[in-house]
Amino acid sequence: MMQVNAAVKKKRKIKDACLNAITYLSSGLGAFILIAIFVFIFSKGFSSLGFDLLKGNYWSNNYLVSVEESYNQAGNYQAPADLNEGAAFSSKWGIAFVDAQDQNKDNVILIEYVDEASPFARLLDDSIKDKQVTLSAESGFQVERISYQDENGITYTAGNIMSQNAKELCEALDQADVIEQAYFKTPGGGIRGSILSTLYLILVSLLIALPLGIAAAIYLHEYAKQNKVTALIRSAIDMLTGVPSIIFGLMGVTVLFPVTQLFGATTTNILLGAFTMAVILLPTIIRSTEEALIVVPKSMRDASLSLGANQSQTIFKVVLPCAIPGILTGVMLSIGRVIGESAALIYTMGTYVNDAPHLLSQGTSLAVHIYNIMSSEQPNFELASAISIVILIFVLILNITVKLLSKKLNKAWY
Amino acid sequence: MNAETIFHVDHLDLFYGDKQALKQIKMDIKRNKITALIGPSGCGKSTFLRCLNRMNDLVDGCKVSGTIELDGNDIHSTQMNVVDLRTKVGMVFQKANPFPMSIYDNIAYGPRCQGIKSKKILDEIVEQSLTKAALWEEVKDRLQESAFGLSGGQQQRLCIARAIAMEPEVILMDEPTSALDPISTSKIEEMAMELKKDYTIIIVTHNMQQAARVSDETAFFLMGEMVEFDETKKIFQQPSDKRTEDYITGRFG
Repeated sequence: MMQVNAAVKKKRKIKDACLNAITYLSSGLGAFILIAIFVFIFSKGFSSLGFDLLKGNYWSNNYLVSVEESYNQAGNYQAPADLNEGAAFSSKWGIAFVDAQDQNKDNVILIEYVDEASPFARLLDDSIKDKQVTLSAESGFQVERISYQDENGITYTAGNIMSQNAKELCEALDQADVIEQAYFKTPGGGIRGSILSTLYLILVSLLIALPLGIAAAIYLHEYAKQNKVTALIRSAIDMLTGVPSIIFGLMGVTVLFPVTQLFGATTTNILLGAFTMAVILLPTIIRSTEEALIVVPKSMRDASLSLGANQSQTIFKVVLPCAIPGILTGVMLSIGRVIGESAALIYTMGTYVNDAPHLLSQGTSLAVHIYNIMSSEQPNFELASAISIVILIFVLILNITVKLLSKKLNKAWY
Repeated sequence: MNAETIFHVDHLDLFYGDKQALKQIKMDIKRNKITALIGPSGCGKSTFLRCLNRMNDLVDGCKVSGTIELDGNDIHSTQMNVVDLRTKVGMVFQKANPFPMSIYDNIAYGPRCQGIKSKKILDEIVEQSLTKAALWEEVKDRLQESAFGLSGGQQQRLCIARAIAMEPEVILMDEPTSALDPISTSKIEEMAMELKKDYTIIIVTHNMQQAARVSDETAFFLMGEMVEFDETKKIFQQPSDKRTEDYITGRFG
């Protein structure tokens, strides 16, 4: 037996341990960073996350109103039995207020309840001068300002701008004899419009990029002769993957915008964003489809061809169905790319958050919405984090769905 | 050339790039017989088999010269469509390769590609093909299940049934039992004996006993040449070439 020096043995052991430790640490670091991102985003944004955020409008509605003259007097109203305990009820005016926080974590007073007979249910919109528009205060409105006159005809102001809380506002109103004017606003800051825009964007860009990408991959892998020309096309596609998306954005706005004009677009729009995203996605989809086609065993093609099927029958009936799990992976990567993209979309879709987006209007994807919030005068980090949670959960659900789907497809036949 | 001959091969040369894989093959394969092709690995017997239904067309850099006639028609001529050729000359591969579909769809694949849509006709084809391949009794209750649920031997018989469904004239078998156990092998051998009534079978095999058991005629290939082609009995009992004798007595290969 070969004699090994004890010192050499020890040295080898240490070296081995060091190398192992490096691999452990490196892989651990990856997992740690992911967990850290999740913890950070969740701790910052979780409190801002809520159903109102998901379904609410981004823009506030402002109401500058006065009470119809014939109703502008105090009465005696009963608080409803199911009124929230924290709410302050003004029996004189038939309205209840509650304390809350808005998305910037500032204290605000919200209307909790309005009696049907209350003067606040018969308001005139003052911001429209030439037409009388009547409306009612609704629960959820923020009370920015209410000006009123007391018995002596002196005007006072109450509400958010006086930094009052619900109880103080109620007490102030109890002094009032006549309501002069009120300024209400709806909360705003919701992301429903951006969620819709993102869904439109994903749907349309995939509808364009998937058929094109799959067809290109089939051509490159099945029909084309493997020569210099296909090698050139292939390396061009690879280079396309490395082009910064902002350049695609510039290309989209100059080259593709006239195309959307044919559909009647007048501004940058979601359709243009989707066209641009489709171009960005093409290399990803071509590549992943081609990888999936390569994996399909040659014996499948041989079997099909030996049965007298021609090439397109072989490709579409046998090879492509075998490649579906791989294509799905490409779809997942693509959706991730659409959700994460911002640079190209700022050029092509604009940064205007649209509460009612449609294909030919401006809109923002969730990522651009975050950009919009953080680049405004008062960056709202909590809200940005809350949207990040929405994005992360969306991506997570997507991942799991695609995994389950391809597993099920695999299991069905293999 | 007489009516008994189905394949007439003359002066067949085949090159993979610069390498010559088949040299001046000359052979007349008889109708409704089982012809076995034997020889050591890399001798060109599988390559020759794949020439007969032009599967070598798919290989890059493969060049074929010489004549192959099926029923007197040159299979390389422009009148002969390669798709039509393959409906007449079916093939079974070394490793069972069912499609990732149901058993029924596997059998119906070929006829469907030819444009047969009628459920009634397809049902009939599926039943007949599976019966001929001695698989009907085993699978008739699970036709809609995945073909991958079958055992290896069953999968190979399914592949044979799939080839039969096209009603070919010739079935090429490329070492069809090399991956199977002895029981599955003997089932397939029995089936081949049965099938030769309706079809011509050409089988490549590494198993000399198999060639002796099932075939009527045997061709011995060596280094891309066809050394000897005769009745199986004669090849195994009194080969005329020394090299054939060396091979079948196990002196090399």
